[in-house]
Amino acid sequence: MRLILAVWAAKMASLLGKIMGKKSSSTPGAVALKICPDMIKRLKKNITGKVIVTCGTNGKTTTNNLVYASLLKCGHSVLCNTLGANMLSGVATVFSDSCNLFGKFKADYACFEIDEAFAVKVFDHITPDYIIVTNLFRDQLDRYGELETTVKLVKSAIDKAPNAKLILNGDDPITAQLGKGRDASYFGISEQVLSQNSETRDGQFCTVCGAPLSYNYYHYGQLGDYCCTNCENKRNKIDFEAKDVSLENGLSFTVNGNQVNLNYRGFYNIYNVLAVFSLMSLLGTKSENFNNLLSDYKPQIGRMEEIDLGKSVILNLAKNPAGFNQAIETVLTDKRKKDIIIAVNAEPSDGMDVSWLWDVDFERLNDETFNTLSISGKRAYDLALRFKYSGIKIDKITFDMKESILSCLETDSEVCYVLVNYTALFGTQNILLGLKGEKEEKK
Amino acid sequence: MEYSLNIVHLYPDLLNLYGDKGNMEALKMRLLWRNIGANIIDITASENKIDFENADIIFLGGGADREMETVSNLLSAYKEELKTYIENDGAMLCVCGGYQLMGKYYKTSQNEIAGMEILDITTVSDEKNRLIGNVILESDEFGKIAGFENHGGRTDIKNHTPLGKVLAGHGNDGESGFEGVIYKNLIGTYLHGPLLPKNPVLCDSILERALKRKYEGFSSLAPLDDTLEDKARNYIIENFSI
Repeated sequence: MRLILAVWAAKMASLLGKIMGKKSSSTPGAVALKICPDMIKRLKKNITGKVIVTCGTNGKTTTNNLVYASLLKCGHSVLCNTLGANMLSGVATVFSDSCNLFGKFKADYACFEIDEAFAVKVFDHITPDYIIVTNLFRDQLDRYGELETTVKLVKSAIDKAPNAKLILNGDDPITAQLGKGRDASYFGISEQVLSQNSETRDGQFCTVCGAPLSYNYYHYGQLGDYCCTNCENKRNKIDFEAKDVSLENGLSFTVNGNQVNLNYRGFYNIYNVLAVFSLMSLLGTKSENFNNLLSDYKPQIGRMEEIDLGKSVILNLAKNPAGFNQAIETVLTDKRKKDIIIAVNAEPSDGMDVSWLWDVDFERLNDETFNTLSISGKRAYDLALRFKYSGIKIDKITFDMKESILSCLETDSEVCYVLVNYTALFGTQNILLGLKGEKEEKK
Repeated sequence: MEYSLNIVHLYPDLLNLYGDKGNMEALKMRLLWRNIGANIIDITASENKIDFENADIIFLGGGADREMETVSNLLSAYKEELKTYIENDGAMLCVCGGYQLMGKYYKTSQNEIAGMEILDITTVSDEKNRLIGNVILESDEFGKIAGFENHGGRTDIKNHTPLGKVLAGHGNDGESGFEGVIYKNLIGTYLHGPLLPKNPVLCDSILERALKRKYEGFSSLAPLDDTLEDKARNYIIENFSI
């Protein structure tokens, strides 16, 4: 009875949220858990198949949504926190939303992205059968503490699911160490693709003995074909490996000989797709259908999201040095003359500390296609200093994102890239969609 | 160029948390903008010689406990030379882990990392309760200083002069109301941000101390336009004052 009460209360909260015009992705679940703390445990028997969890610093939302799209395409019914509410309350909301008024639902699979710091807690309620770890980078040090703290948290979470199969990024020495003594599969990119520059490499020291790592080639951050200069630690045998990578016109590569073609950008997306390929292979889907499986996937907001305002404006979320460096890499593959807008906030969900801006290789943006730079967001001045001390000319500093976008529409550039961090994303997207609406009305 | 400084960055490969290399950028650019030479010398873990004789400014940043231990071992070979450098008014900036290493020891729940014993300070870590957040300091010499702290260590500075009085944030130990240490031309602090780009008065003071030590006839630095620097610092002061 308590269960049904909890589900009803959550549904009420959801409805109230809707009336007030808010998409509530975690409040209903929080309400439900107050009434029935073991709601998830009691509801999970409604899932007949496997439970898949995705963890990691970058790429969680994309990977999880790709898993979701692929499973749906296979004809399964799937529970998923598509909106990225990735703490316990977010998972609870998905459960309560899926229930009918009798507290029942039917699902073949469940896939959740879970915040690294909260996986320990979530796994008390639901034990995954598969755990994907995309990568582990420095992120929001003020929230998580040092990277080692995050690694420990993820480790204690997966210890709570001793029978789960791990699907790990084998190019990441920090992530790969989680597979020791476990049933694990590794994915990786087995050739040099990008230019070998010197951006911040987090895990350049061996996770076993602390000696420096050496690389045959590396991709970004600490990812690559590594081996320790002192002990036996080296890149694992890769079970699902990407080769023949091309970044022109979207992404194309082969995985274990299967051709994959995608119309979205970003080298890092290869990893997200590899993780999904690994999972789907382990679940026994036929890999020749893989392109077809991914075809329904729509990138989430702000993942290199292209909006046509007469000039193409591309919005991308980047939250930490690894994410920003990858966004910059993607911007650089576009050879059109471009304006760039960067906005950084420092709200609690962004991380209150902006010192990481100095660990991003912003200097690389300054190539021959770079036209104007606008700086925005609440920490515009910190960002501006970052550019001032790199000797890059700033054309505009403003707290008003709309003003930045409007002035970029006036330049002779062919494309405008807008790179923003988490809390700046939704406001920026609203402005862009608003401008798009105005433009269409005029027609 | 009439003047030029050698700026030594100690172990950027090991101690490189929180964008602290921004401090190096600030030191360098604020010299170059004034037509003063800046020669940057990175000393990595594989380097086996630090030239204290010709160093004018030394920077040591922060890192995780494991990296700090490695640096403690590496630096111990230079303990006496470093001490002589500081006692002879050599300029040095140490941030977070680097600051802790200037003292006698840094004690964690697992072990004790030996310091360089330049300062009579000690640090005990309380990892479960890290002191995290924006910080505003008041200093007689530098005015208001803004930065960000994120440390488990509680540092007891005993009789040393602090860098500043805490107006907002936690400071050395969360209790004393003071932050950092200034001893001769050595500044130790927990402040990231990075510290120097937003606090140009402090940055220029380090540069000026080094220039005066190296060149007898040096009088003072030419002023720069710090409008942007001041705006960035004032954003913190206006939004995070208590």
